[in-house]
Amino acid sequence: MKTNNPIVRLHLFTNRFYNKKWILLLILLSCFLNSCDSFVEVGLPNSQLTSPAVFEDKATATAAMVDIYNKIRDNGLLTGTSSGISNQLGNYTDELVCYGSTASVSIDFYNNALVATNSNISAMWNSSYNQIYCANSVLEGVKNAVALPTADRDQLSGEALFVRGLLHFYLTNLFGDLPYITSTDYKQNSNPKRMPQTEVYDKIKTDLTQAIALLPEAYISTEKVRPNKYAAIALLARVDLYSENWAEAAANATQVINNTTLYQWTSLNKVFLKNSTTTIWQLMPAVKGKNTFEGETFIFTAGPPTLTALSPGLLSAFTAGDLRKSWWTKAVTNGTTTWYHAYKYNQYQNTTTSLEYSIVLRLAEQYLIRAEAKAHLNDVIGAAQDLNAVRNQAGLGATTATTTEELLEAILKERRLEFFTEFGHRFFDLKRTNKLDSTLSVVKLGWDAKDQLWPIPATELLVNSNLQPQNYGY
Amino acid sequence: MNNYSFVKGWASCRRSSLLFLLVVCWTPMLSAQKINVKGTVSDATASLPGVTITIKNQPQTGTISDSKGHYQLLASPMDTLVVSFVGFKTAYIPIQGRSIIPIYLVYDTTNLQEVRVNAGYYSVKEKERTGSIARITAKDMETQPVTNVLATMQGRMAGVNITQETGVPGGGFNIQIRGINSLRADGNEPLYIIDGVPYASQVLSYSQISTNMPGDGSPLNSINPDDIQSIEVLKDADATAIYGSRGANGVVLISTKKGKQGKTQFAVNASKGVGQVTQTMQLMNTEQYLAMRRKAFANDGITQIPDYEYDVNGTWDSTRYTDWQKELIGGTAEITGVQTSVSGGNEQTQFLLSGTYHSETTVFPGDFIYKKAAFHSNINHESENKKFKLNFSANYTHQDNDQPWTDFTLTAMSLAPNAPALYDAQGKLNWENNTWDNPLANLEGKFKSKTGDMVANSLLSYQLFKNLELKSSFGYTNLHYKESRTTPSTLNNPAYNITSKNSSILVNNTNRQSWIIEPQINWKKEFGKSNVDVLLGGTFLNQDSDRFIIKGKGFTSNSLIYDLASASTITVINNQETAYKYQAFFGRINWNWQDKYILNATGRRDGSSRFGPGKQFATFGAIGGAWIFSKEQFVKNNAAFLSFGKLRASYGTTGNDQIGDYQFMNTYSSSGSSYQSVVGLQPSRLFNPDYGWETNTKLELALETGFLQDRIFFTWAWYNNKSSNQLVGIPLPATTGFSSLQANLDATVQNTGVEVTLRTSNIHTPQFTWTTNFNLSLPQNKLVSFPGLESSTYANQYVVGQSINIQKLYNNTGLNSQTGIYSFEDVNGDGLITYPDDSQAIRDFSPKYFGGLQNHLEYNGWQLDFLFQFVKQENYNWAYIAGLPGAFVNQSVYAADSWQQAGATSPYQKYSTGVNNDVVEAYYKYISSTAAVSDASFVRLKNIAISYDIPKQWIKELRGKIYVQGQNLLLFTPYKGADPEFRSAGYLPPLKVVTAGIQLNF
Repeated sequence: MKTNNPIVRLHLFTNRFYNKKWILLLILLSCFLNSCDSFVEVGLPNSQLTSPAVFEDKATATAAMVDIYNKIRDNGLLTGTSSGISNQLGNYTDELVCYGSTASVSIDFYNNALVATNSNISAMWNSSYNQIYCANSVLEGVKNAVALPTADRDQLSGEALFVRGLLHFYLTNLFGDLPYITSTDYKQNSNPKRMPQTEVYDKIKTDLTQAIALLPEAYISTEKVRPNKYAAIALLARVDLYSENWAEAAANATQVINNTTLYQWTSLNKVFLKNSTTTIWQLMPAVKGKNTFEGETFIFTAGPPTLTALSPGLLSAFTAGDLRKSWWTKAVTNGTTTWYHAYKYNQYQNTTTSLEYSIVLRLAEQYLIRAEAKAHLNDVIGAAQDLNAVRNQAGLGATTATTTEELLEAILKERRLEFFTEFGHRFFDLKRTNKLDSTLSVVKLGWDAKDQLWPIPATELLVNSNLQPQNYGY
Repeated sequence: MNNYSFVKGWASCRRSSLLFLLVVCWTPMLSAQKINVKGTVSDATASLPGVTITIKNQPQTGTISDSKGHYQLLASPMDTLVVSFVGFKTAYIPIQGRSIIPIYLVYDTTNLQEVRVNAGYYSVKEKERTGSIARITAKDMETQPVTNVLATMQGRMAGVNITQETGVPGGGFNIQIRGINSLRADGNEPLYIIDGVPYASQVLSYSQISTNMPGDGSPLNSINPDDIQSIEVLKDADATAIYGSRGANGVVLISTKKGKQGKTQFAVNASKGVGQVTQTMQLMNTEQYLAMRRKAFANDGITQIPDYEYDVNGTWDSTRYTDWQKELIGGTAEITGVQTSVSGGNEQTQFLLSGTYHSETTVFPGDFIYKKAAFHSNINHESENKKFKLNFSANYTHQDNDQPWTDFTLTAMSLAPNAPALYDAQGKLNWENNTWDNPLANLEGKFKSKTGDMVANSLLSYQLFKNLELKSSFGYTNLHYKESRTTPSTLNNPAYNITSKNSSILVNNTNRQSWIIEPQINWKKEFGKSNVDVLLGGTFLNQDSDRFIIKGKGFTSNSLIYDLASASTITVINNQETAYKYQAFFGRINWNWQDKYILNATGRRDGSSRFGPGKQFATFGAIGGAWIFSKEQFVKNNAAFLSFGKLRASYGTTGNDQIGDYQFMNTYSSSGSSYQSVVGLQPSRLFNPDYGWETNTKLELALETGFLQDRIFFTWAWYNNKSSNQLVGIPLPATTGFSSLQANLDATVQNTGVEVTLRTSNIHTPQFTWTTNFNLSLPQNKLVSFPGLESSTYANQYVVGQSINIQKLYNNTGLNSQTGIYSFEDVNGDGLITYPDDSQAIRDFSPKYFGGLQNHLEYNGWQLDFLFQFVKQENYNWAYIAGLPGAFVNQSVYAADSWQQAGATSPYQKYSTGVNNDVVEAYYKYISSTAAVSDASFVRLKNIAISYDIPKQWIKELRGKIYVQGQNLLLFTPYKGADPEFRSAGYLPPLKVVTAGIQLNF
């Protein structure tokens, strides 16, 4: 019905909407448009654990932490396989002779012919930073976990800080200046600059000091496979020694040495067994019955050696009567030639139950740290005492060194005989005492000055130009 | 409306006919007399000029209606007029003595331009379509004896490239709609929608279990081609943008058959056929093989043949010959198919129920069979006042696949021709004194899979007002998949005494359910000369899947191998639940002015649970337009031969969310290593909450023209699609903890090309029809940009400016005629041939062009359909999968032409048994060089089908036809190997199949 009256027209218009159908439509539309954006949020999946969930529960948080030990044991720098530094730094210095084929990665280390594209170095770098990421992830996860009791949080944080310090320590000693990674945020970590080594050391010390505060004295688990307070102290002692903080080094070493409940001398043939009393921290194998990778890597039963043998230089460095030569090396002959291999770990196959674990930190090192520290502090008597403690274990008499220089030389020699094929001690000792060139250029044909540092992997430099410049000579 | 007028015409005829019949009977003389018949032909709205009117059984007498639709001819009063015109149903009108007969013709709705094409949420008449949609119907599918729906589409649609991966039943097909868009291998699947319900195409199989197939099979095997009414493939932005984030790679719409109004009809279709491999390699015979081996030993300087080289040192009979391809893959597969259906209904309600059974044995030795049973039901209902409509369909498929655990093809190609007999005198497997591994032992390891798949959908709509329709669809899918692969100890030579303690089984149970609700409002209105059609809708989708993969090892007896409870060690390999949720709003506005100018705008706002918070939503849209210029007056006046001309263009964006679920979450997963008996947990990936959709912009320009009343129909389309914001692993320095981060990279992939189709209705008379369909696609793929490619992990895979489907290879420069060893180009000039610096030659594996030529002929109840498919491409040749020539492995006959002595030239280098390092290294480089890639173009007689309609005279109540069909029957190719259609080399080629059957409708 047509009308010009506006009010009537309005009524007619609104009457149209009174129609039930329109109301129905409006209701439907409103329900429809009201549908929430939250519809597309999915709940946490049942079979994957999100980071918060992992750290709310002690068992899963522990699983996240101990997996880092799995990684350290199997990959990267501290693994006992032939790609770890125990083998490669042995080849690199004067501990091992490499018999591998030209295709073997170890040959490049033996010939001191490292290049930035070396795949073993690249793998070590990548694994180490992945392990550091996992440690940072644990630290962040634990920090935000309110449900976890303080004791557990402290234990896990302490372990993570310990691992972070440990890995950066080895990295900086191999590569020189490098970034210190303290978070998991990839935006921060994708173009970090190289930090001067002194700063790196400061950060390592901070981490270890914190770890010491957090970790308990007692081992959280049997068999010393997870670090305790003393493991952190022991490592800190070494860091102090390397950074020439002699007093702190001596003090920290003393703390460990004085704890005779946990750590005592044992006979040489028992030092590398899994229940050895000189062990401060060791890595447990993955499977029951498995022993160390070091055993598999170094031991050969018939000549010629498949990969490496102890160098003649090292063997002749042992004085007569040194029990370490009888217990920790073994001769293998094919009738005409005799080779020796490291025999610290005796097992190269699986046994019913595991007999040997890979030992990272042990008591003898603490004595030698303290000896060296005391020598620098001019406490020659104290230094000689500690040195002799280690010599006695090896069946040797007291040292004839009396002056600081003589003592330091004797200690360096002792370290060579004590720590061969153990995590590159020889290389680091020669390096920090500035004796790399003088010692190695004589025996290693390929040695030159640049070899004191390893090259930073080329792929890293491609993706992060802040890591420039490359170490000199590469 | 046309039906009604026609019926009215009939009714009036009926009344007069009775009267005239009487007269005619009494005047036999009159019946011989011819009368003048005339009238007007019209379609009830307008008169029709050019209509052919003839007398039945006298095709030579006839006339054509004039410009006003008038016609006139001489006929006897007893004759029947046959009136035919393209686009209309042919009418048969008995004259019955009348002298003036008005003729009303009814639109033939199978006229292709009037067909309503399913565009997903709406349907549009073919002629008014603004988007690029390719279509095949049940008619194209029922001539093909295949089980996978993708096989029915091969060679028939422009822009759609489908490659069969293996000839083993249950295997998969790879589909590319207008090229590859994503750098990630698993990000290129199109969206499949069955009756409006999205069907997830992610593979359910675990790759360690489906070891007999490359690519792990295909869930699309669950769809039964016999139940499909039409398949539409949406290609451009106008068609796909309404699907938003899932349409980047195209959309495949599958509509199942619906019930039809009318008498209750039963149909039965039964067929039986055989299949064999299309083409095998030409291999050496014993003589050639032994000559090669002996020469290899001579080349290596070995006079004392080692005792493990059984083929030449006399252990094996040197005169024995077995054609291993015939023994192991030369069998004949038996194919059986039965389908029954019942349909019917009245004006309000129609229904259809059908059941299908299909089975296929293998070409491998042994008793293996693939069975599929499918059930399809459809009910349509419309209320009396026509306001309420209900459409319900439910499909259920069950598949049972029993296959050997391995594909025998590679073994068949590499076994020495004089290898021992398969069976010994007692009929047991012959191990010839432990000198070989009898290939038939592999029959002991079995792959079994069972799938139960249900897809159901109901669509309800209600006409609220005259122009407003409310509708909603509710869909549900439920898929159960169980597969297992056994590795029993009987696979091994019994002499090794391997007991069932070493037998193992891998079992995978995967389930997937989803539901979807899509409410929509549709509003149509006429405004003077224009029509507006508005659609608004929403989507709510939820998909849950769970997976359980378990390995059992160590059984007391091999007969207990399927009982996991009897396994001494059980390892859970994977136990995972995933949920995926998706929500969207979409809309479409279509404006049609006088059927001449059409504008179509579509848009969608999508949210997906696959992306992190804040990145879950995105908007996509497209605009498409069409100008039917053949309706313009100046065209009508000057180009009357042009019966249809349309220019259309579209531009828009779509997205891709195929990235897996939960990737944005910061998660830990099991590392598999234990420490102190605690299974370690490690961070799964570098956490990136920020990643979002891959976006794809599509541009298309097309021309569609029809000549001579659409008897010749030609289309030409050009498209340009750019896919950017690619989700890739961005390389990062290791200081981040990982080497790459799943993130969006500004890499752009471009797909551009031309698609041409031609349809000609060559002969169109009531007796004989011949139509031809031709399609041709010329695609081009290019990686337009990839910042940071050189430092990424993709540096040796892609090259900016080239296709992404390339391989970087060594460049083989023949061989050194003095040494007889292959030579390669030293690209970086350093005197050495090393990877990657010298591996820089590029070969593109994408097809240069592909298409199909199809012909359909009908004559007097006989029908002949045949389709030729052609592809121009390069692919790996036989040398790629052959072993080292001269070693203990058979070779293609072409390898007989090898270098013999210094100074000789030959395509193939000197033989070696494997001890000559230089030869071996050169061989490894050769198979990664340009020499391993050759022309694999082919023309295939893809399908041929002959059927004969059972004449109505034979049995009155029965209609039907008998038919013979063949698939992949002929192959023409310069390729020197087995079948050139493959994605992974060394697997069973596709089968050529011939079936014969009968279809009855009653």
